Amino acid sequence: MRNRIIFTPLFLFFIIFSLTTAAQNQPPVEYTVCSACHTIGKGKLIGPDLKGVNDRHDEAWLISFIKSSQTMVKNGDPVAVKLFEENNKIPMPDNNLTDDQIRGILTYIKNYDETAVTSTTTAEKPKSDVPASGQDDSSLKMQKQKYGPGNTRPTFIIFFVLFLIALIDLTFTKIIKAYFVHVIIIFVSIFVLGEIVYVEAKELGRQQGYSPDQPVWFSHKVHATQNQINCLYCHSTAMESKSAGFPSTAVCMNCHNVVKKGKITGEVEIAKVVNSWNTKKPIEWVRVHNLPDHVWFSHAQHVNVGKRQCQECHGKVEEMDKIVQVENLGMGWCVNCHRNTNVQFKENEFYKEFAKYQEEIKAGTRSRVTVDDIGGNNCQLCHY
Amino acid sequence: MKYSSIIRFIIVVGIAAILLMTVSCNRTENSPGWVYMPDMNYSRTYETYSKNPNFSDSLTMQAPVKGTIPREMIPYSYGRTFDEQVKAGKELVNPLPVTTENLQRGKIQYEIFCSNCHGMAGKGDGYLFTSGLFIAKPFDLTSDIVQAKPIGEIFHVTTVGSVSGLMGAHGSQINQADRWKIAMYVKNKLSTNL
Repeated sequence: MRNRIIFTPLFLFFIIFSLTTAAQNQPPVEYTVCSACHTIGKGKLIGPDLKGVNDRHDEAWLISFIKSSQTMVKNGDPVAVKLFEENNKIPMPDNNLTDDQIRGILTYIKNYDETAVTSTTTAEKPKSDVPASGQDDSSLKMQKQKYGPGNTRPTFIIFFVLFLIALIDLTFTKIIKAYFVHVIIIFVSIFVLGEIVYVEAKELGRQQGYSPDQPVWFSHKVHATQNQINCLYCHSTAMESKSAGFPSTAVCMNCHNVVKKGKITGEVEIAKVVNSWNTKKPIEWVRVHNLPDHVWFSHAQHVNVGKRQCQECHGKVEEMDKIVQVENLGMGWCVNCHRNTNVQFKENEFYKEFAKYQEEIKAGTRSRVTVDDIGGNNCQLCHY
Repeated sequence: MKYSSIIRFIIVVGIAAILLMTVSCNRTENSPGWVYMPDMNYSRTYETYSKNPNFSDSLTMQAPVKGTIPREMIPYSYGRTFDEQVKAGKELVNPLPVTTENLQRGKIQYEIFCSNCHGMAGKGDGYLFTSGLFIAKPFDLTSDIVQAKPIGEIFHVTTVGSVSGLMGAHGSQINQADRWKIAMYVKNKLSTNL
């Protein structure tokens, strides 16, 4: 009872407090454009700090400046020219806004209270703090799709225990008198265990289904599909280099210097990238597709010369929230593809040297050239 | 009789233990699994992106020592200020001929690296801007302001980024020749026709 008496006023106060702060600091939609270059009371960003801008200039001047600053500079308005010179001659883009919309922005700047804003942002934080593994249902379904043979341990243990019991009963306890029961159990379990040993031994050194946790919850689905960014924007060396290229934080910051809030994870995950940029400490991503050291592979040869699509080896990366290795990247898989894939001989500078094949294709006696035909399955091509 | 049964028991348990050891690997999403002959599988040299205990920042990929440059690299001396940008525009000369082939290469590169913000037609209406993610309006590359600039200035902005900081530096992603081809393509009003 006493508790309730204490807490009710506190609770009421909290509600009122949060309501008032929310009402006070609702920025108009149009202000988002301004916030790309300006702050209020947090110092100069690209344009000057907007704190007290209502006192520095009169309203009519501000309205015409916000509408088209460059027209005013061209017309020789002394204040506008001075501002333009002060800010490294970076023109402020024209805004297609009505007078009332601009007045709304100006009142927002006038009433802006820094202390109130910090309290709302801290109150909002838990809401946007979606757990690091926060995914929607579709992506969860996506991840449940298993690649590789899956976990064989339970089956192995069950049959191993059966095998042991049968052996012990046969040699020591002799509870079951009919020996053929033991024999059947032993043969079946040896078969199953042998199968598991074979499957597991074959998978040694392969990582099909490997999907490690990354330090930042990064989604290829968001970047490549929803935001339509080309694979090569980030993995820019795939065309020219052995490695596809791992984007440095600087590449992330090309967009994330402005984009600070994600749709799924809010501000938490992008803040890690920005923090890495500010502290100059690289993010330790975990590499998913590994080849053994005794195999040589070049992205340039496959992507640039062979005109292969990324998805042929990496699966539908653009639909993955968390990267998973789809193919087993074993030698059999490589060799099979080399046997079946047609080399694009026409309009390909790289294969001009293969005169005999070129002639045969021209004459029509040869319908296709596989990678195998041009020595793609020689041992020394990949192992040396 | 008793002695031989003990031997039999030891043999059975021994076989079982060997079997169990062979197969006791348990794959999880987070483990890359076991390998045959780790000495041939894992590189003994430090690879480009691997950790390196010899440097204090544990990076294998180190920046060149101060005052040195890699072979064949032409250092880029213009900074990211307005005056330097104008200077670059005046001094830099396009080393490549303006041909349809170069313009087509420029178009491909433009569509990978620039069209996200500037749009396929260069009107400043790329998807990142129209979807509301990137709030600052990118430049209309076909506008008179951009088209009036010398080609060196376009190359400069592609390389080090814009003065405002809203456009990032793309020098690390696009090689020098391709940046000239992009500049050529932009200067040609985003058309491959000469």
